[in-house]
Amino acid sequence: MRKIKDFKRHILAVLISLPVLLLSAIASQAQDIDILLKGGHVIDPANNIDSKMDVAIKDGKILKVATSISPEQARKVIDVKGMYVVPGLIDLHVHAFHGTEPGSYIADGWDALPPDGFTFRAGVTTVVDAGSAGWRNFRKFKEQTIDRSRTRILAFLNIVGTGMYGRFEEQDVNDMNPVMTAYMINRLFPDIIVGVKSAHYWGPDFTQVDKAVEAGKLAGVPVMVDLGEHHPPLPIEELFMKHLRPGDIWTHTYANAPKDREVPVDENGRVKPFIFEAQKRGIIFDVGHGGGAFHWKQAIPAVQQGFIADVISSDLHIGSMNGGMKDMANLLSKFLNMGLPLQDVIRRATQKPAQVIGKPELGNLSPGSEADVAVFSMREGDFGFLDVRGTKMKGTRKLEAELTLRAGRIVWDLNGIGSVMWDAVTSQAR
Amino acid sequence: MPGKFIKSMSLLILLLIMSSTGYSQEIDILLKGGHVIDPANHIDAVMDVAISDGRIAKVAPDISVTGAGRVLDVKGMYVVPGLIDIHTHVFVGPNQGFANGFSCVSPDDITFKSGITTVVDAGTSGWGNFQLFKSQVIDRSQTRILAFLNIAAFGMTGFPSEENITEMDPRMTSLMISQYPKEIVGVKIGHYTGTDWTPFDRAIEAAALANVPLIVECHLPMYPLEEILCKLRPGDIYTHSFTTAVDRECILDDQLNLKPCVIQAKNKGIRFDVGHGGGMFHFNVAIPAFKQGLLPDSFGSDLHRSSMNAAMKNMLETMSKFLNIGMELQDVIYRATWNAAQSIGRDDLGNLTVGAEADIAVLSMRTGKFGFTDTRGNRLDGDRRLEAELTIRAGRIVFDNNGIAAKNWLENQALYKFKK
Repeated sequence: MRKIKDFKRHILAVLISLPVLLLSAIASQAQDIDILLKGGHVIDPANNIDSKMDVAIKDGKILKVATSISPEQARKVIDVKGMYVVPGLIDLHVHAFHGTEPGSYIADGWDALPPDGFTFRAGVTTVVDAGSAGWRNFRKFKEQTIDRSRTRILAFLNIVGTGMYGRFEEQDVNDMNPVMTAYMINRLFPDIIVGVKSAHYWGPDFTQVDKAVEAGKLAGVPVMVDLGEHHPPLPIEELFMKHLRPGDIWTHTYANAPKDREVPVDENGRVKPFIFEAQKRGIIFDVGHGGGAFHWKQAIPAVQQGFIADVISSDLHIGSMNGGMKDMANLLSKFLNMGLPLQDVIRRATQKPAQVIGKPELGNLSPGSEADVAVFSMREGDFGFLDVRGTKMKGTRKLEAELTLRAGRIVWDLNGIGSVMWDAVTSQAR
Repeated sequence: MPGKFIKSMSLLILLLIMSSTGYSQEIDILLKGGHVIDPANHIDAVMDVAISDGRIAKVAPDISVTGAGRVLDVKGMYVVPGLIDIHTHVFVGPNQGFANGFSCVSPDDITFKSGITTVVDAGTSGWGNFQLFKSQVIDRSQTRILAFLNIAAFGMTGFPSEENITEMDPRMTSLMISQYPKEIVGVKIGHYTGTDWTPFDRAIEAAALANVPLIVECHLPMYPLEEILCKLRPGDIYTHSFTTAVDRECILDDQLNLKPCVIQAKNKGIRFDVGHGGGMFHFNVAIPAFKQGLLPDSFGSDLHRSSMNAAMKNMLETMSKFLNIGMELQDVIYRATWNAAQSIGRDDLGNLTVGAEADIAVLSMRTGKFGFTDTRGNRLDGDRRLEAELTIRAGRIVFDNNGIAAKNWLENQALYKFKK
C-alpha cells in the first residue's frame, strides 16, 4: 500500500517536474545573450552597417548584429530606440601617464591624466597614449596607469628614452635610441605599444623624426609626429614626402601657430596643394586637439576644401580637459557641425584609428570582437563649440554618450537605461 | 613748433582717453540677465553680477554695460555661487588605494564642468601625510581644495594600517590643523572595524582641541547608530546618510520610518551629508527620508575612482536627483552653497556677497525625460537636469560649455588677418 502510494508520489513528482525541467531547459537557453541592445541605429563602418539593428552581447563579446533579435533569449534587454549604437570610440592621442614625479610634466607627471574620468562618459573605450613614456619609463607607466585603468590603454613609445619628462630633456639626441625603442616594442610589449612618437623637438632639422622612423622601421610600427617648434619653421612638404612613410601620422593637424610650425591652410584660407598629395601618399592626419592645437581658422577652411583629418582625437591632458576640447563626444560633434556625415565622423574615431595602429580587431562590432560599444543620443538645440583660441562655431547637434560598454560590461549609463525602477524592487534587503 | 605742440597735445589726449577707458573698465566680467540665486543674501531674482579683480563687485538689476570688459548674456540661466562639494577623495598619487593613491581623482577633472569651485577632501590624509597632500595636489589644482584630517595618522591607507589606534593622536591632529587653518576645516573618522570607542573618542577630542567639526564616514560596523549620534556635537557631520550599506546601520527602521535617534540628532544640530559615492546612496532610503523631512545639509559626492562613472557622476547630478525627488531649486542651491559653507565654518564661501572671491556657477535647467540611478543601479525618472554652462573661479572663466564667453570665430578675423 505504502509502496504504491510512494510509487504514485514518484510518478506525480516526475509528471510535475517534467514541464519544470523543460521550462528550465528553455530558460537556460534563454540566457544565450547577456545584454541585448534593442532597436538602435547601428553604425559600424568596418562592416558597412548603417541601419536599424539589434546588438547581442555574450561573455563580453559581440555575439550577433542583426535586425530583430528575439528578446526572449536575453538576460537583459536595453531599449536604445532613437539612439546610435557604434563601436566603442578609439582616442588615438591622449596623455595618460599621470604621476607625481617632481620636475616632470607629462611622463609620470601632473599634466597627464588617468583616462577613466574622460573616456566612458564620452563613449571612448580605447585610448592611445601619444609618447608620454619612453623606453626608460614605460614599465612604470604600465604598472602605474595602464594595468590599473578600466579603459584599454595602448601607447606610442617616445623616441626619447625618458619620454615627456620636460621640454628641455626632450631635446637630448643622445637619448633617442631607435634600437632600444624597437626592442621595447617588439620584445617586451608588442600588444600594448603600437607605434613611436616624435615630439616637441627644437633642433634645426628632422633628426628626431628620422630617429623615430628608424625605430618604426625596426619595430614595424607607425610613427606619430608632433613637429614641435622651429625657427624658422621646417618645411612640412619635405617631411611628408621624404621623411615619413605611408601610414605614419602627423598630429595637431588644425593647429595654427605658423611662426613655430608650418600650417596646412595658408593665410588666404587655402589648403596647400601638397597636403592633398601627402594624404594621397598615405600620410595619416590626426586632429590631436589639445589645449593649443585646434583652430577654427585652420579647421573650417580645410574641411570646406575637403582636407579632413583621417582621425579625430583629443590630446587629453590637464591643459585641454576643461577648455575647447572637453572630450571626444564634443570633438565628434564639432566635425558633425562642420558638415561631415555622422557615419564618417564615427568612422574617423573607430575603424580608421584601429587601422592606423594595426589593430583591426578594435573599432568594429564584428561577431567575436570584444564588446566595446558606445550608445549615443543626438541632442538638438543651439550649441557653441570652442576652439583653443576661445572663439566659437555655432552648431545645432551634439552627441551625448548614453551608454558605454567595455568588454561587455556597462561602464557608463547616463540615464539609467540599463536599470530598473527604484520602487519596482521592494524585496531588496535594506 | 606747432607740429610738436600738436603731437604732444594729441599724445596727451590719447593718454586721457586711455586712462579714462582704463578707469571705466571697473568691471572685468559682467554676467547679464541671469536669474541669481544667492541664498546667503536672500537673492532669488533676475539680476546682473559684476566681477572685478577676481571678486564680486556688484549684484544688482540692470548694471550698465559701459565700462565692462566682457559682457556675457546669461538670460534664461541661473547664476549661483560656485558649488561646494564637502565630501571628496582627491589625494591622488602613485600608490594603490586612497591615500596618495590611484583610487582618488584629481578634482579639476570633474569639478568645473559641474559648477563646483570648492571641494573638501574627506580625510584621505592624516597628520602624517597632509603636507604631502598639500604640495602634491592642493597647491597644484585650480579647484579650491579644503580638507578634513583623518584621525588615522596617514589617512586612508587601508586595512589594517588605518586602524592603528596608537597612531590616532588627537594632539598631533589638532596641531596640524592649527598649522593649516585655511585648508583644514575639520576632523574625520572613517574606517574602524573594532568595538573599542577609543578611535571615535580621539577624533572628537581632536575636533574639540582644534575647534572644528567632525565628519563621520561609513565603515564603523560595530558602532550602533544611536551611540554615534549621541556622541556627536551640534555642527558635527554625518555622511553617507541615505544608504542601506551593510557596514552601517540605516537611518530608517523596517517600516521605513526615521529612527527616533536620527530625528533627535537632527534637532540637536547634527548635519547630514549625502556622501553619494559608489555604494552609499539608495533611493529607498533617500525618498522616504525626504518625505519625512530629513533633507541633506549638503550634497557631498564622495568623488573617487569607482563612483565617478557609476550612479554618482558628479555633485550636480546628485542635486538634480533631489530636485526630481521634490526639493525646490532654491533649496537645492542653498544646500550646495551657503549651507555647505556653514557645515565647514567658511562664511567666505558659497555666497555672492560684494567683496567675496568670484566663484560662480552658471547653470541651465534642461527639461526632458531623464533617468537618475542610485548606487544599486535602480532608477528614478525625472524631467529636469541641471547643467553647468559656465564656471568662474576667482574671477577667471575655467569652464564654458557652449562658448557663451566666446566670440564667433568669423568675428575674430581681424585677429587672424584671414581672408575667405
